[in-house]
Amino acid sequence: MLGFVARRLLYLVPVLVAVSLLTFLIASLLPGDLAYVILGDQATPEKVAALRHDMGLDQPIWWRYLSWLGHVLQGDFGRSFRTGQTVLQAVTERLPVSLELMVLAELGALAIGIPLAIACAVRSGSAFDRFMTGSAFGMLSVPAFLSAILLIYLFAVELRWLPATGYVPFGEDAIGNLRSFLLPALTLALGEWPVLMRVLRSDMIATLQEDYIAMARAKGLKPSRILLVHALKPSSLTLVTVTGINIGRLIGGTVIVESIFALPGIGRLLLGAIFTRDLIILQGMVLFVACGYVLMNFVVDMLYAVLDPRIRHGHA
Amino acid sequence: MTAVIRWHKPAQIFLGAAFGVALFAGAANAQKQGGSITLGLELDISGFDPLKVGVYDTASYTAAAAIFDTLVYLDDKGVAQPKLALSWDHSEDFKTWTFKLRPGVKFHDGTPFNAEAAKANFDRQKDPANKCRCAFYIASIHDVQAPDELTLVYNLTDPAVDLPAVMTIPSSNFVIQSPTAWKTKGDEYNRNPVGTGPYLLKSWTAGDRMVLERNPDYWNKGHPYLDRIVLKPLPDAQSRFASLQSGEADIIWDDEADADNIQKAQKDPKLTVHTYTGSGAAVYAFNTKVAPFDDVRVRQALVMAIDRKKMSQAITNGLARPASNPYGEGSWVKCKDDGALPTDVQKAKALIKEYRKPVEFKMLLTATPRGRNIGQVLQQFWKQVGANMEMEQVDQATIVPRAFMRQFQLTPWRIVDLADPDPQMFANFHTGSPVALANYSNPELDKLLEHARVTADPEKRIEDYCAITRLINQEAIWFWTFQNTYYAISSSKLKGLPKIYSGVIDVSNVWME
Repeated sequence: MLGFVARRLLYLVPVLVAVSLLTFLIASLLPGDLAYVILGDQATPEKVAALRHDMGLDQPIWWRYLSWLGHVLQGDFGRSFRTGQTVLQAVTERLPVSLELMVLAELGALAIGIPLAIACAVRSGSAFDRFMTGSAFGMLSVPAFLSAILLIYLFAVELRWLPATGYVPFGEDAIGNLRSFLLPALTLALGEWPVLMRVLRSDMIATLQEDYIAMARAKGLKPSRILLVHALKPSSLTLVTVTGINIGRLIGGTVIVESIFALPGIGRLLLGAIFTRDLIILQGMVLFVACGYVLMNFVVDMLYAVLDPRIRHGHA
Repeated sequence: MTAVIRWHKPAQIFLGAAFGVALFAGAANAQKQGGSITLGLELDISGFDPLKVGVYDTASYTAAAAIFDTLVYLDDKGVAQPKLALSWDHSEDFKTWTFKLRPGVKFHDGTPFNAEAAKANFDRQKDPANKCRCAFYIASIHDVQAPDELTLVYNLTDPAVDLPAVMTIPSSNFVIQSPTAWKTKGDEYNRNPVGTGPYLLKSWTAGDRMVLERNPDYWNKGHPYLDRIVLKPLPDAQSRFASLQSGEADIIWDDEADADNIQKAQKDPKLTVHTYTGSGAAVYAFNTKVAPFDDVRVRQALVMAIDRKKMSQAITNGLARPASNPYGEGSWVKCKDDGALPTDVQKAKALIKEYRKPVEFKMLLTATPRGRNIGQVLQQFWKQVGANMEMEQVDQATIVPRAFMRQFQLTPWRIVDLADPDPQMFANFHTGSPVALANYSNPELDKLLEHARVTADPEKRIEDYCAITRLINQEAIWFWTFQNTYYAISSSKLKGLPKIYSGVIDVSNVWME
């Protein structure tokens, strides 16, 4: 098992190098030279040239990449020219908010998706199954910004049960914290559960046709025990993959949802950096998110090995 | 009160009773102490140290207006009034201004406010070694002297007849910050500002909220009214408005792009829409050195083809107010005749025909949905008269250098709301200025601009500025589409909000009924 983990870790190195290179290139090739952005309406050619020299922007691109990478490896991701905050400070300040949102959203999606998937798989082809797969498809096509606004109007403006926007730190008021996360997490969960449900449903239908399930039935085991113990675990391999990838995708979803609900997470930071052309924060954030995605996939790989011993031993 | 009650001898006793009632009613309407409000802003506030952030955005202005004071403020009639300065005077040539400062004022950290402190603020921004972006906006101030504790002297490179009025914006240049604070706090100062203002910074969580608390030692006794102000960035226009409707916010920033909600709020008795039409306008400059805009007929034809009312309907549901000169309703410059070219499609067609050659050109626009909307509407107007415009949408940051290097045929620009037209008009139209974007030179125009900036009599200045806009409108070197209009929407219980000068929502003196 240790050898397996080490091998996988080794594969990560070239991936991360490629990610850093791409991130750097994207930020460098964006229209709007950083010097012009910083100087704004005072961007006379002389001032631009002086600032470009100060910032090393007149160096060749490969040299700038290497020096940036060198700094990154020492933990120095740069400093926002707007706020003077370092990228690391900005990220650590805001990451907990996004993590909480993503975890709650994913839990919500699983809580809706798994029971429905099992219910549909058991009665596959029934009217209930057809209705649920149909509505899952419908939910999948509703964009987050629409469901967010609908939820706000229903629960905040009309019913006044939950706040429309805002964030309460967990340490200050745990209930208030959960209340402020409920609508944003639900918005994200509404877009995620259909995927989880459909994947688990089809795997589960396949598993339920396996011989050992028939045997379990013949032995007279309780149907609930067959479903939850014998069928769920072997059916959940794809579910784990999709959940993992979804968490990566959710980082993208947080950009929209955090802006609508005014949560101070990394999605908001990213969007703010784009609007204010804060390229240093932007570059650091994209690198950070991309690495997060890669690492998430690594964790999913590891989970495979736990779920399916064949992978662990390299026979799959 | 005296205007309401007119004395009639026989009814004196009765009126005396009514007077008492009126006083009582007056008290119920009067400023109320205590309470707190939450304000929803569009942007995250980036900080307050001029050396770090350079210039403030509108969100920072709102916070700065509460934490800091300026020397002078602008009252609702647009007249400069004393704040940290008690009085001021100028030299004959308007190149030296002397301010007498308010005694006994202290910064929140106990540092005394005096001429030395104000001078330190200026010197720090002006120092070339600090490379502050903010220095650009004080380029015309040569130096500041502090001859004694309470006297501050500004020496200017160019005359400014309205200097105090221009210094009323709570911008990084004109708010007075505590020198002790920035020296002792260093890098941390940006997020821990210290001023003399009516509110102190209590706490600030990045991206979430800034909590300001009443300054109990504020020099203006009895002010401010509210105990607490919470500033929250709510970037999404829809949910910002929903937060106001649900009562989580008491006042929110808004703009014309969100016309639907502004119009909805205008019909809602529980909400008040605060509107201020300032000076300045959304403007566009032709490069008169390149074809086809080197021909005045083409420029005039394009301006005559624009129907501003239709355009306002198309991009802002009719909220945007047409502009026929660069001064606007908020400016004290009012022209009986500003020489604006009328909307006249037939005349425009004829002018284009006269030009003989095909009129084809590129227009710079910002790469935003709004930029695209504006471009599409103008494209349609100009197509009608036989001119073909191709949109070139570029990043906002790209427009500035392109404009500076005159790499454009037609570019958008902005004349911002300012208490005096001189700084921007002189820069935009005097021969040789880096932002005289039209590349146009006219000795008569130069003479008028030079005269207007050294003339004290407002009537004479109005004559100058009206002659200037007549000349520009006739020559059609720039054109103006819409006036600068600023919006805030609040609960109807919120009272005392001053005019939204320069888009600054200043809640430092409001109260809740």
